[in-house]
Amino acid sequence: MYDYQIQKSEELGETTYITTLKNGLTVYVCKKEGYKKKMGLFGTKYGSIINDFVDISTGKRIQVPDGIAHFLEHKLFEKEGENALDMFSKMGVSSNAYTTFDHTVYFFETIEKFEESIDMLVKLIKEPYFTKENVEKEQGIIGQEISMYDDDPGFVVYFNALRAMYKKHPIRIDIAGTIETISHIDKDLLYTCYHTFYSPQNMFFIVVGDVDVDETVKRIEQNICKYEENYGKNETISKIEKFLEIEDREIAQKEISKAMDIYMPQICLGYKLDVVTKQEILRREAICSMISDMYFSKLTKFYEEEYEKGMITEPVSFDYEGSQYFSHVILSSVTKKVNELKDDLLKYIHKIKNEPIDSTLFELIKKKKLGSIVMSAENLNISYRRIIEAILENVDIYDDIAILKSITEKDIREFLNLLDDHYMAISIVTNKQ
Amino acid sequence: MLNIYKINDSKFKSIYLSCNFIMPVNRNQNSENALLGSVLGKACKQYPTQAEIEKYLYGLYGTDFNVNIEKLGDLYNIEFKVQFVHKDFLPDKQDVSDKVIEFLYQVIYDPYLVNGVFDSTIVEREKKVILNKIMERKDDKLRYSVQRMEQLLCPNEAFGMDLYGEEEIINAITPERLYQRYLEVIQGSCVTFLLSGNLEKYEDLEDKLKKKFEPKLENHLKLDEMIYDDVKREMKNKIEEEKEIQDTVQSVLSIGAVIENYQVQDYYALNVYNTILGGTPSSKLFQNVREKESLAYTVRSRYYRFKPILIIFSGIMQENYEKAKDLILEQMQDMKKGNISHIEFSSAKESLVADLLEWNDSKIALAKMQLSNVLAFQSEEVTLDQMIEQIKKVTLEDVIRVANKVQVEKVFLLGGNENV
Repeated sequence: MYDYQIQKSEELGETTYITTLKNGLTVYVCKKEGYKKKMGLFGTKYGSIINDFVDISTGKRIQVPDGIAHFLEHKLFEKEGENALDMFSKMGVSSNAYTTFDHTVYFFETIEKFEESIDMLVKLIKEPYFTKENVEKEQGIIGQEISMYDDDPGFVVYFNALRAMYKKHPIRIDIAGTIETISHIDKDLLYTCYHTFYSPQNMFFIVVGDVDVDETVKRIEQNICKYEENYGKNETISKIEKFLEIEDREIAQKEISKAMDIYMPQICLGYKLDVVTKQEILRREAICSMISDMYFSKLTKFYEEEYEKGMITEPVSFDYEGSQYFSHVILSSVTKKVNELKDDLLKYIHKIKNEPIDSTLFELIKKKKLGSIVMSAENLNISYRRIIEAILENVDIYDDIAILKSITEKDIREFLNLLDDHYMAISIVTNKQ
Repeated sequence: MLNIYKINDSKFKSIYLSCNFIMPVNRNQNSENALLGSVLGKACKQYPTQAEIEKYLYGLYGTDFNVNIEKLGDLYNIEFKVQFVHKDFLPDKQDVSDKVIEFLYQVIYDPYLVNGVFDSTIVEREKKVILNKIMERKDDKLRYSVQRMEQLLCPNEAFGMDLYGEEEIINAITPERLYQRYLEVIQGSCVTFLLSGNLEKYEDLEDKLKKKFEPKLENHLKLDEMIYDDVKREMKNKIEEEKEIQDTVQSVLSIGAVIENYQVQDYYALNVYNTILGGTPSSKLFQNVREKESLAYTVRSRYYRFKPILIIFSGIMQENYEKAKDLILEQMQDMKKGNISHIEFSSAKESLVADLLEWNDSKIALAKMQLSNVLAFQSEEVTLDQMIEQIKKVTLEDVIRVANKVQVEKVFLLGGNENV
């Protein structure tokens, strides 16, 4: 009935069927046999860092207040006087939505109400309902959400690290904005962002679960048709124009520190890197997950020594975060002795850059990764996250697994050499006392 | 005899195996258990350091191992758990199960000892780890508030003691005393195994466990012998307010209630009650406190499976304290009077049923359900399907009846020192 591009992973026992509807919306159905839960996700390639663009209705370039993509997420999940979370919940279905730097996703999870949930999700996204009153009401709720993050030391230390690394890039701004910036949001601005970024070509629909593929796609298409008069009539597609400058590696400030009423201080080291795209992003992610195990996990001498000294009780995390718009490595940890740990980490990174790779260890990590890949197949959330990443970075869905298997010692070596103190910023949250 | 609960579903690709030491505790034992759990997971005779334990597990294709501590009501559980990949999904169909069972046995029954007791260096090191965990709690304001409320509601019960114990008691524990405690735990607990996941082609796994562990399991407590009667509660019939100052942007309001004259059969109706009150976005709290009045982003109520208490928590601005408190108490009063719409009632039941059905997709949830049903219902016969049936059978009258058993006793505000 539909033409599918089929992508498959033997390791995960998982197949994803991809088809593009006549209006340009691409649908992904990831089949997970035997699972009861079914998930549906409707998303757009629009997030907090896209705040400078051409308004699709007027053709004029505009800059919008910080936090508007997240605000739009809240408001779109509401219909006349009724919250969408509530509408799903009345059907016994759980739902939620989230906004990231570069995408926004609305989703449901259900066992018995799959078809009705698709109907509801499409309706919500295709029928925006913003009023002066409901925008004002949301400013109070989001204000409390922002205050909650302000008291969360993990959140503060992380966003401060981004602010220290980036000079102007919008990754510096809080995804939810601030109480001040969201006070400038009104219903017209919300409609502008909606019309510009919630077009079928900029969106994706993902289903994960043990479902009938044809029936699922048909149901989605039938629903979309209800809201698009010109469905399938080959209207000209307006191109989205957004302005987002990729930054050079120079950092904004070397160190940033904040005192909070907490017990355990936290630290983040951020290494700013040159931006790469497509499979290179996946390669860097795979390399960093190997580095994390090889040099920071509980089997390392580093962990053992820091643990014995009472510096840490959990491994320091070492993560790659990258997209076509930014690229960096973040190390983070909680510790009683934040300055000592900082010194130890910096020394340690110098050391591992200059020592040979332990081949036995490298092989051991690869063995562990094989097991982890299989275990990850039991988690439906990992399935949809992989699809979203493939959409955003324009790669095949299961490329990450092949890439992880292909990582060599040389890759590790070369990547470690990218960690340059000159392009590194430090964020610390201390305890007030 | 080996006490084991087993779940087999071939859609999974791995196997979860856990060995639970469940026991009642007093104040001292509570702290000792926390330290013991921390020490045992870090070393055993054959693998005397964390690094060696981890290396061994990495070689078993990333077998996951943890010592987890938890409270099941007033009972303490020290759980040794592993998760490993099914042989069908490993290169050359390698089977790691024998090695995993042997490893689990080693970490439990062959600990790393120096002069017949635990190594004092490790004990002292782990004391610091535990003490940090206790202090660190305040860094998560919402969780901290809920935990303080648990303590306020159950001051004289094991449930109300901090899972990680008390600083003074922990500091005083010697390696000798800890080893003594170790012997008490392995000889005096109810030992329960959970085995769940894809057990196809692993028909002999239970026998292997029996052969390995049974010699160690004589004369142990039985789960049904340990089921406690909850302390007779004296109803306070008044609300006490407490406040703790922290320098924060947001304040956390929590409200604690106890269930008067709780009966096992109230369990399902109380779950429906809790869901209507503050369990979902359709709930009275979400609708009124968040959606109508914009007072909060987070507002929820939680009913405790093993304790007849209920806690409501919400992140608010301090200046809205009285308003939010009154609004929440009003919702509870409303439910006592039976002001519950048909849609509130039916959607709460549907949500609960959906949550239960979802356990089918988690091998760990399925296994844990069997264990907790023994404790909560004093029966190991209760299946997931029966639980779902019982939820469906709850009537509006049942909900109103239990609503009138819910008595608010404490209000706790964790807040900034500004504005008030």
